[in-house]
Amino acid sequence: MALASSVIWVWALSILLQLALFALLFLKGNFRRLPVLTTYVALNLGQAAYLIVLYSGAGSNLRFLAWSSEAITLVFQALAATEALHLVLKPYPGIWGLGWRALGFISAMLLAFIAKHTAGNYNWALLEADRGYHLLFATAVISCFLLIRYYSIAIPVAYKLLLAGFCFYSCTMILTNTILQSVLYRNFAAYEPVWQFASVFAFALVQAVWLTALWRPLPADDRRHALPSDEIYQRVSPVIDERLRLLNEKLMRLWKKEVRPQ
Amino acid sequence: MSASLVIFSGIAVLLGLLLVWLLRDQGKSRQTDGDLNSADEFHATYFPQVRRAMSQEDLAFLTLRGSARLSRRVRKERQKIALAYLTCLRKDFGRRWRLARVIAVMSPRVGMAQELSRFRLGLAFCLRYELVRFKFVLGRAPLPDLSSLSETVSKLAVRLEKAMNELGERAALATELASTLNGRGVNPR
Repeated sequence: MALASSVIWVWALSILLQLALFALLFLKGNFRRLPVLTTYVALNLGQAAYLIVLYSGAGSNLRFLAWSSEAITLVFQALAATEALHLVLKPYPGIWGLGWRALGFISAMLLAFIAKHTAGNYNWALLEADRGYHLLFATAVISCFLLIRYYSIAIPVAYKLLLAGFCFYSCTMILTNTILQSVLYRNFAAYEPVWQFASVFAFALVQAVWLTALWRPLPADDRRHALPSDEIYQRVSPVIDERLRLLNEKLMRLWKKEVRPQ
Repeated sequence: MSASLVIFSGIAVLLGLLLVWLLRDQGKSRQTDGDLNSADEFHATYFPQVRRAMSQEDLAFLTLRGSARLSRRVRKERQKIALAYLTCLRKDFGRRWRLARVIAVMSPRVGMAQELSRFRLGLAFCLRYELVRFKFVLGRAPLPDLSSLSETVSKLAVRLEKAMNELGERAALATELASTLNGRGVNPR
């Protein structure tokens, strides 16, 4: 199967960037702190080699073989993002626990939405599954960013860029998969190179961002903020909530009341 | 244009914009931390002065002895003061709301229902505050209720500051204990 020259060039650039990132992870010693991300980068390099072999031949089930390798890297993408998030939220076990429960709820809701929307569309099953995964993934990362911002937790720049890179790539994949299915497939004969170029280019861009993020050593993990027990939270939180509720009721009364002479 | 294209492209663009906003908004959260540091500045205590400023007796006296025009001018100026007070009241509420989040961040276990409920309360407060503010702009100011509102903010502040002091004492105690253990060459972990 022949690839377009533009796709080959951008793919070569992406492989070069991945090699540089892999080397950087070892040179700066960051592989110790980010073992899953290191495995993810290694898997991507392995997948690139596998696809080169695959595309140089002419197999009948080429598409299935290519996509099955993608499934493994997608699982590791989720694990690598979870690793980065865990490093950010490790000093805040309460928020980490809350984040997990919230993510479980959001993921279940999204899965139901995706299943309902794509039911019966067997022709595009692989692409729909890929888009569904990226939708779930990007929403989960954004939700975590929102949670972190809500609680005013500081994120080291390196972790922020890692997570942002993952999220950007997923957003691009949702967009390109949708455009391919709804516009390109019907209107362009050469739809495949356009899709391949867009997805590989976005991935190469993310690798470049990660290279700059991991150029410096990761910050020392010596933050310990949580108290030994949740006694104060259990005692104070309901009181605060009750007061806030009361305040809201009073505001509501203030809104509903008519003017009274003083 | 298919529904799928609109829905999924819309979601992707929205997620991308949210990502940009979340990455760019670092400065604002830092400013929030600064607000927390000035927690001793508390505006709810100025309510008697605001009530005096909004007194109808003063305005009636001005209309009687001065002119209706002067009375109107004074009324407008005093209304501005009341609006500024209402803004400060919201800042007081916001500061306490954030303090509650600080307590949650420091806790090893956080209740999802409790946090969701507080988030909802904060949103409701913002919405209702805007409605009440609108009422003030229109010159329809129910002062006794404003008094009750500032009293609630004061009580909330007292409870929270007590909790924060307790948190501070415990954190100091934990640090002292850890340094004592380290001094004896004992690893506390």
